[in-house]
Amino acid sequence: MTPTLTGTKKVVTGNHAVSYGAMLSRVQVISAYPITPQTQVVELLSEFCANGTLRAKFIKVESEHSAMAALIGAASAGARTFTATSAHGLALMHEMLHWAAGARLPIVMANVNRAMGPPWSVWTDQNDSLSQRDTGWMQIYCESNQEVLDTVIQAYRVAEKVFMPAMLVLDAFVLSHTAEQIEIPDQSVVDEYLPPYRPIYKLDPNDPRSFGGLAPPDVYMELRYKMHRAMEDALTEWARADEEFSELFGRRYGLIEPYRADDAKILLVTSGTVTSTAREVIDELQSEGRRVGLLKIRVFRPFPAQLVRETLQGVEKVAVIDRNISFGMGGIFAQEIKSALYNRHERPPIFGFVAGLGGRDITPKVIREIIEYTESHDEPEDLIWVGVKR
Amino acid sequence: MRNFTLPSEELMGSGHLGCQGCGGALAMRYALKALGEKTIVVIPACCWTIIAGPFPYTSLKVPVLHTAFETAAVAASGVRAALDIQGDTETTVVAWAGDGGTFDIGLQSLSGAAERNENILYICYDNEAYMNTGIQRSGATPYLAWTTTTPEKTPKAEPKKDIMAIMVAHGIPYAATATIAYPDDFIRKVQRAKSIYGTKFLQVLAPCPPGWKAPSEWAIKLSRLAVQTRVFPLYEVEYGERYTLNAPKEEPALPVSEYLKLQGRFGHLTERDIEAIQEIIEKRWQRLLQRVRESS
Amino acid sequence: MRKPIVFTSEREMPPMAVSLADMSHNRTGSWRYMRPIYSEKIAPCKNACPLGNDIPRILSFVSEGRYEEAWRLFRQTSPLPGVCGRVCYHPCETRCNRKDFDEALSIASIERFVADACFDLEDEIPERPRRSEKIAIVGSGPAGLTCAYFLAKDGYAVTVFEAASQPGGMLRLGIPAYRLPREVLDREIELIARWGVEFRTNTKIGQDIDIEKLWEQYDALFVATGAHHSRALNIPGEELALTGLEFLKAVNAGQTVNIGKRTLIIGGGNTAMDCARTALRLGAQPIVVYRRTREEMPAIAEEIEEAEHEGTRFEFLAAPTAIYQRDGRLEVHCIRMQLGEPDKSGRRRPVPIPGSDFVMRADSVLKAVGEEPDLSFLSERLETSEGIVMERAQGLLERAGIFVGGDAQTGPSTVAQAMRSGREAAFAIMRFLRGERKPKAPQLDEALRVNFSYFAHKPRVKTPQLPVSERILGFAETKRALSADQARLEAQRCFSCGVCNNCDNCWVFCPDAAITRIDGTYKVNYDFCKGCGVCAEECPRSVISLVEEEL
Repeated sequence: MTPTLTGTKKVVTGNHAVSYGAMLSRVQVISAYPITPQTQVVELLSEFCANGTLRAKFIKVESEHSAMAALIGAASAGARTFTATSAHGLALMHEMLHWAAGARLPIVMANVNRAMGPPWSVWTDQNDSLSQRDTGWMQIYCESNQEVLDTVIQAYRVAEKVFMPAMLVLDAFVLSHTAEQIEIPDQSVVDEYLPPYRPIYKLDPNDPRSFGGLAPPDVYMELRYKMHRAMEDALTEWARADEEFSELFGRRYGLIEPYRADDAKILLVTSGTVTSTAREVIDELQSEGRRVGLLKIRVFRPFPAQLVRETLQGVEKVAVIDRNISFGMGGIFAQEIKSALYNRHERPPIFGFVAGLGGRDITPKVIREIIEYTESHDEPEDLIWVGVKR
Repeated sequence: MRNFTLPSEELMGSGHLGCQGCGGALAMRYALKALGEKTIVVIPACCWTIIAGPFPYTSLKVPVLHTAFETAAVAASGVRAALDIQGDTETTVVAWAGDGGTFDIGLQSLSGAAERNENILYICYDNEAYMNTGIQRSGATPYLAWTTTTPEKTPKAEPKKDIMAIMVAHGIPYAATATIAYPDDFIRKVQRAKSIYGTKFLQVLAPCPPGWKAPSEWAIKLSRLAVQTRVFPLYEVEYGERYTLNAPKEEPALPVSEYLKLQGRFGHLTERDIEAIQEIIEKRWQRLLQRVRESS
Repeated sequence: MRKPIVFTSEREMPPMAVSLADMSHNRTGSWRYMRPIYSEKIAPCKNACPLGNDIPRILSFVSEGRYEEAWRLFRQTSPLPGVCGRVCYHPCETRCNRKDFDEALSIASIERFVADACFDLEDEIPERPRRSEKIAIVGSGPAGLTCAYFLAKDGYAVTVFEAASQPGGMLRLGIPAYRLPREVLDREIELIARWGVEFRTNTKIGQDIDIEKLWEQYDALFVATGAHHSRALNIPGEELALTGLEFLKAVNAGQTVNIGKRTLIIGGGNTAMDCARTALRLGAQPIVVYRRTREEMPAIAEEIEEAEHEGTRFEFLAAPTAIYQRDGRLEVHCIRMQLGEPDKSGRRRPVPIPGSDFVMRADSVLKAVGEEPDLSFLSERLETSEGIVMERAQGLLERAGIFVGGDAQTGPSTVAQAMRSGREAAFAIMRFLRGERKPKAPQLDEALRVNFSYFAHKPRVKTPQLPVSERILGFAETKRALSADQARLEAQRCFSCGVCNNCDNCWVFCPDAAITRIDGTYKVNYDFCKGCGVCAEECPRSVISLVEEEL
């Protein structure tokens, strides 16, 4: 199906792309607390609310924990809800992230990946969002501002289908404050793609029920089982949502994106903006005749294990770039990939690289070194620190 | 020859898990009579989390959102926003929290909501300790009371936090105290609050027989004595300025010992202790009277 | 009541924890070890009243202005409310729970008000089968009148024999008009007569009629001849003293009696007080001489106060030893007393102090040191046992049916006690005639606990009285009636002890909403009642009791 109306072309930052995505998704209740580098998200949304572009209630709460709590209240009462945060704000929300998922509320949040303190840092890495990977939130790592805007819309589509909350992630400053030209879709097309939110149960005096009461051991586990099943269903729903998105808007992203990986001997795995840089390096290497490919992991939760396994089939070595670290273990994407492969017979060796923490730049040169290292070493290593001054 | 005129409808059902003589249960019963069916109640972690009954049951005939401990006021704010944006301005949104979730861990979100003048009714049923988790002290625990974390050798060394003063300082449209021995007064205040736009706050003294170490049949008696001894005067404050005293009237009050001696949590008090408490009560009373006078 | 929900598969469960049902499956009644029950109790006033007047309900009627219903309720237990409201010593007020809160209810004055307000009403005499038996009552004092009333109400033919020219006994002869106006007494006797009671006056037992003859002609007998035989002083010159009772009878009968300007009244009972107050009204100065102190005086406290208020003087701890006539006046030799060990009445025995003789002069001396019944007209072979006279001789048991009551049985007592005795005799006679046994009376607990929190202080109404200066001018009634407003407001002070009056407290204060109210009754839902006891504690009037739950 060919896309119908085209939208407006505009040069916007990643943060503003988030705002446009939320606005087009007709969110009804926003609750947010400012934190660098998210502030422009909520500032533009405030303007949209003020000038009537967006008809929504904006609760200017006094902390991020309250922001999520407010949205839980609002979503429970049947509204489409949105927030944005980063690093410490996300960490502060932690309790309520568990709550939103357990309450099966399709809240969508944009998290700007920012390093955790102390020491204070405003630059990008992925520890903040990955610390929340067990909360039951879907996580989508975006590479470009267009993807950011599109992912907001897709996220509502999927979240309101499976009733699990979704967090889209964008790198601090590299995306959040970097302007790119994007297409802002037409509202009517978005409306066609994204119907209004229809919860199964909501707070309603005409049908009075109690939400979130005490569940003894004989019933709690089943409720958790149902959450996991919803996450599994989300794998299918993401694919479907992406497919239908491409039909209406002409763009697709997939849960993962292999790039020139067909007959690669070495596969580089990245997420976030590092992917953009990596594409350049892969192109260069390929033109040098090297069989090096790239795998971008976009949807991290639910983890697309089967897709990853398929992509890694026939690969000789895998180099994972983690812009994060689980202290005492290693890079998290590397662990997840290993875990997806472990029970399979075909298990290419996996080199786990940790790079770019606290916003340290991952340049093409660094990526090349990573690939060289992988190529030159026979034995895989679980954790290789990149660029640390020793 | 009725002593009280309460609405007949019961929106709190029997079979709930409140202890015998639970003041918090009575408080909820009266509040819902005052509010009616078009009400949504937000309940953070507190005794009522358990009293309401476990999944898949509920003892309340209005919608209830259980939420995390510190979030009552802001979750209620979220519910309010969602109702408003969907065109429902009739349903009342009530945050129903214990003293822990109000005075201590919930104070931030309550202050935030009050500062934003969120259109919610916040009712704190105050049993003066973290009763649900086993009677640990809270900011609402009175001076020298026993709790499991302020044992008899080291009873609570600090006076009860003046939550009304804090809420009044926010300048919200309506703040009031109430208690279960005066159901007419409590219901009147809930209905009055409901009719006002903005943040409304009610502190309801709700005796807890196990936590206060008193027989269950004295739940009302203790509540009444708290007022009559001026430990817990009933008053209203509008917009942080206009004070109205409801009870007790300015006649000789009962000495505070009449109230304290009935409760095991004060069983260790000496004469000196009781005098000290009487002094604190007297000071607060005089301050309240002054504010009432300044208002008129 | 529903069964608990059991999920057999996760597919039956909603996606999140949301409620599907209420908590009515959870019968918290199992938590209980004490159970509240509604058990009305007997109010202490009603319990203290010798007639068992249903005072709480009567006051409830009065509080609502329903005087006729109050009057008819009185008449179920008493034929003489107008009399009692004036002369009873009101033990109800002494036991009234309100005295521990502020002041006892002024019950007697309300009884009087009701009787006066309904002065012109008559009993509704229903159609009832006439019984064949005939009963004779000897004596038309309060005991005899009351016995007649209850028997006649039940359809029996009753004839009352009275020695005096008019019925009433001590009510007419002993109690002065300023306490009990004649119209009131006459009216209430008339109402008794309307039930078909025959009065034969000027007929004295043992003189004009014979007890054995009566015993043959009638199916049962009630002897209620009172106690008119005055006790002696047993001192020299006693014959110079007038008998107090005779003095009162004469004055009450309208005769002129000259007691001079100064009269000594020996004694401390009601008769002595009546003598003193009557003496005042005849222009004399009475001095009451009593061998103990004021505290031990057997007269009703009110009577002592009024006697004093009107001008009676008292000489306590003194007793006469001899009376002489000197120069047209009486010289009464007395001795001082002191209180020693208690005697069999429980009061401390007065002991003369040697050498403390003194002399008082007066124009007259009235002796009022107690009365005794005179039952000499009863045959010897009859033996009394608890007021029931049984024929001892064999073969004549079925002829037993002579009952003795009132002062004749007990010695001088009170009007109310005499009336009670008369009523009991009436029912004993009915049982005797029908061959029934006395049923076991249900034992009700008294309502002693009142939760004062639900009442506001309000002083007791003051019974209006004539000023003293007016009073002693004649024999007009000294106590005035309450106004309707006063009576109603005073009745509203009644706590309604032990009798539910729908205050709703139990329903209001149940933390489990386990008490329902339907059509003015309350029910505990024992499936859910946790037995916390709040309802019992907050019931203002002891209607709810906590009893142990059977385990």
